[in-house]
Amino acid sequence: MDCKHIGKPMKRVEDIRLTSGRGTFIDDMNPFPNIHQAAILRSPYPHARIKEIRTEKAERMPGVKAVITGQDIAALTNPFPVGVTAPVKYYSLAVDKVRFVGEPVAVVIAKNRYLAEDALEAIEVVYEQLPAVVDIEKALEPDAPVLHEAVGSNIANHRHFHYGNVDEAFRQADLVVKHTFFYPKYSATPVETYGVIAHYDPSEQQYTIWSNFHGPFTLQSVMAAALRTPSNRLRIMIPKDVGGSYGIKSGVYPYMVLMAVASRIAGVPVKWIEDRQEHLAASSSGTDRVTWIEAAVKRDGTVTGLKMKMVDNVGGYVRAPEPACLYRTHSNTTGPYRIRHLQMETIAVMTNKSPTGLIRGYGGQQLYFPLERLMHMIAQKLGMDPADVIRKNLIRAEEFPYTTPSGGVYDSGDYRKAFDMLLDIVNYDEFRQKQKQARAEGKYLGMGLACIVEPSGSNMGYITIALTPEERAKSLPKSGCAEGATVSIDPMGGITVRISTTPTGQGHETVAAQIVGEVLGVDPRTVKVVAEMDTLTSPWSVASGSYSSRFAAIGSSAVYQAAHKVRQKLLHIAQELLQVPLDQLVLEHGRIAVKDAPGREISLKRLIGSTHWNPDVLPPGMEPGIHETAFYTIPAAMPPDENDQVNGSVTYGFVADAVTVEVDIETGEVKILDYTTVHDAGKLLNPLIVDGQILGGLVHGLGGAMYEELAYDRNGQFLSGSFMDYLCPTAPEIPPITIKHLETPSPLTPLGAKGLGEGNTMSAPAVIANAVEDALSGLGVTIDTLPLSPNRIWTLIQDAKQKMEITA
Amino acid sequence: MTGNGSIELNGPIEHVFHKLMDPEVLTECIMGCKSMELVGERKYRADLSVGIAAVKGKYDAYITVEEVQAPHHFKLVVHGEGGPGYVDAEGIIDLTPLDESKTQLTYTYQAEVGGKVAAIGQRMLGGVAKLLIGDFFKKIKKNLERGQQIA
Repeated sequence: MDCKHIGKPMKRVEDIRLTSGRGTFIDDMNPFPNIHQAAILRSPYPHARIKEIRTEKAERMPGVKAVITGQDIAALTNPFPVGVTAPVKYYSLAVDKVRFVGEPVAVVIAKNRYLAEDALEAIEVVYEQLPAVVDIEKALEPDAPVLHEAVGSNIANHRHFHYGNVDEAFRQADLVVKHTFFYPKYSATPVETYGVIAHYDPSEQQYTIWSNFHGPFTLQSVMAAALRTPSNRLRIMIPKDVGGSYGIKSGVYPYMVLMAVASRIAGVPVKWIEDRQEHLAASSSGTDRVTWIEAAVKRDGTVTGLKMKMVDNVGGYVRAPEPACLYRTHSNTTGPYRIRHLQMETIAVMTNKSPTGLIRGYGGQQLYFPLERLMHMIAQKLGMDPADVIRKNLIRAEEFPYTTPSGGVYDSGDYRKAFDMLLDIVNYDEFRQKQKQARAEGKYLGMGLACIVEPSGSNMGYITIALTPEERAKSLPKSGCAEGATVSIDPMGGITVRISTTPTGQGHETVAAQIVGEVLGVDPRTVKVVAEMDTLTSPWSVASGSYSSRFAAIGSSAVYQAAHKVRQKLLHIAQELLQVPLDQLVLEHGRIAVKDAPGREISLKRLIGSTHWNPDVLPPGMEPGIHETAFYTIPAAMPPDENDQVNGSVTYGFVADAVTVEVDIETGEVKILDYTTVHDAGKLLNPLIVDGQILGGLVHGLGGAMYEELAYDRNGQFLSGSFMDYLCPTAPEIPPITIKHLETPSPLTPLGAKGLGEGNTMSAPAVIANAVEDALSGLGVTIDTLPLSPNRIWTLIQDAKQKMEITA
Repeated sequence: MTGNGSIELNGPIEHVFHKLMDPEVLTECIMGCKSMELVGERKYRADLSVGIAAVKGKYDAYITVEEVQAPHHFKLVVHGEGGPGYVDAEGIIDLTPLDESKTQLTYTYQAEVGGKVAAIGQRMLGGVAKLLIGDFFKKIKKNLERGQQIA
């Protein structure tokens, strides 16, 4: 397709309002009169029984409308549904027990936040402390404290998977390489915290909730079930602007239910804006994970089989969409490699940490850290160059579409070409020489490599792999990735696009305008895109929302299809008016003209106008007006089959990274010298936005590698409740970054695009760890956890030194 | 978090011991202690107001005196709860006479905190604990010296 607008670096239409302070965020909004403010009392204990809550004093304080406790919530709501069979009761306020520090225990509704916060101090809660557990392996021990008595253990979900003939692969192996890795719990720290404005109208029994929630809208049904309300009595509205999320804000939904009930009890609209301390302690985060991984390897570096046991820590409650973190990358567990035999054991364990949920990369960083570290270890064991081991195992271009052992169907790619591009850009061989010289001068330089497959556009069916085939058979199958969009044109020719992809800063308005501009032959800047979401009026479905990098693959395709419906309608009208066959007509420059017949044309304005002002001229049977909605899904998103094979995402991109570092072995400080990343995300829709998204994801991954951790002490106390305790990378920590693209179009999407922006969040922790270990090669240091703080690296160096002295 | 220390106090051991058992003296010497009342045998309820890093707030505390072996030894058990979280602490105090007018006091303590104060204050906690304890004994010493001057 020869494009005028799609694929061009158009500047974002959102930026003028955002850079001039004219954005509309949740805290700017006052959609109802008489809004009261909420403040939340939270547990200081990681695990305790609530013996009594005394609220009388708080209720009598000035300006206080209501004080709500777990008993109110248990009376008015159901526990949130979740996709596991373990009987875990999770409510929006603690009922009977608290299970993590920061868990909401009571809510005060008052005239303003000051009065509400003061009243919190007057609430007396009598706790009986219980032993706590935060460590994954300890939580699995038979005598561990149990969080949910009804479950009987801390295991929320447990499955085994066998693909191919793993035992045979390991029997035939020349070498088995294995290691255990620990991935830490961290967040994405969006600048804007959670916010909710909720209003209950008893006359219509209608809940209306404004929030910076961004889906997945499967959670609308979860919220409606919790509120015991018909789904059309739960209207969810998302403001025009959301100040970043990276997955984290999908975890606002328990608070949406909490505030909805608070509004119902207090009889006034309620607003709650989370503060930063609350956000770090109790919003949402990625899981921490322990992975035991083993590879069957041939002497030439070919990896033939993998065994993995992975245990995700989902915190105090397994909360929807968890345990999806374990399964989001299920289809691409073998990464970019042609490994045919795979055995997996997956466990979600509950401990006294905050509950987890979506986060950029979701499951990818936890998967690729062990996998890509292991590829590096295999090279070491065989005395091979890591680049050769990676190259040997990469899926070949002619093997696409490639079906993985676990059922993923990689739609397109040329991994070796992209990887060779990377090695070429970084002058790989030259670097190895430079590294040797530097070592001779006492400098510790290292280069890390990592290759990953980046899944995008989640299949709604993948999460049901948490259930056994027999359990799945008991309910209706789930599949698809449906998303909607509406293109309408008003009587004066103004084009409006309505999307349900709830952007949180990714520039969907811009790209939607580019696509509609392209299809309708108009300037994208004249197209108005409405990104505000409203579950009563927007075109949406369960898969709607902003997650799994699904806009480029799915959301944009829905826009494209809706625009095409409009285009077809306009062409049909022109056909009637100009009396020529369709294939003789061209739509461009704001008009429809007859090919090779100068002057025989009709303006779009006239065509559109006639649908509203003069429907008399329309072809027989055609409806007046222009208002076309399209829903789009990809057939490749099928339900899991009886062998537990599932294609968890619809498109799969590729990322190859190389990072160079220098390690100061006296202080343990790691300096990242440069970062090069080659991406293949199919056809790019807007290269300017693409590079911005890639940079953001990369910096998030770098934060995970180097700085970020939601730390707890062994008693379950939370230790990183402010930005002085929880470190995030800032501009000075960012190395020079080179981004290059290869564009292998997806055969599945109408524009050939795939999702992107999460890839480096998945790869950066692995590639930086590989680089650091490479820099310290020969010292006997093994990196199997993060973040790579100077303290950790220094300790590893000292321990390795001591070990060497002992053996010497 | 644990710690220990010692201080030389002016006064015979019985007098020092008596002072340390006196709630009025304790109220005066504990930083941020607004009031203290006897609620049971050797059990006090106290209103404490302490700021640790950015976490300022009031704690509703219970202080129990245990293992009393007058005039040589006792243990203080503190449990405080409030807006900023909670504090659980134990201190063991031993007195030895140096001569007729001087007494050596040695102490060990362990403390745990929870909630906001742990989430934000952890970095500062060791320093703050040292400050609070140091300040307490300094004030006790002053109190004893003032008593001597008046006498």
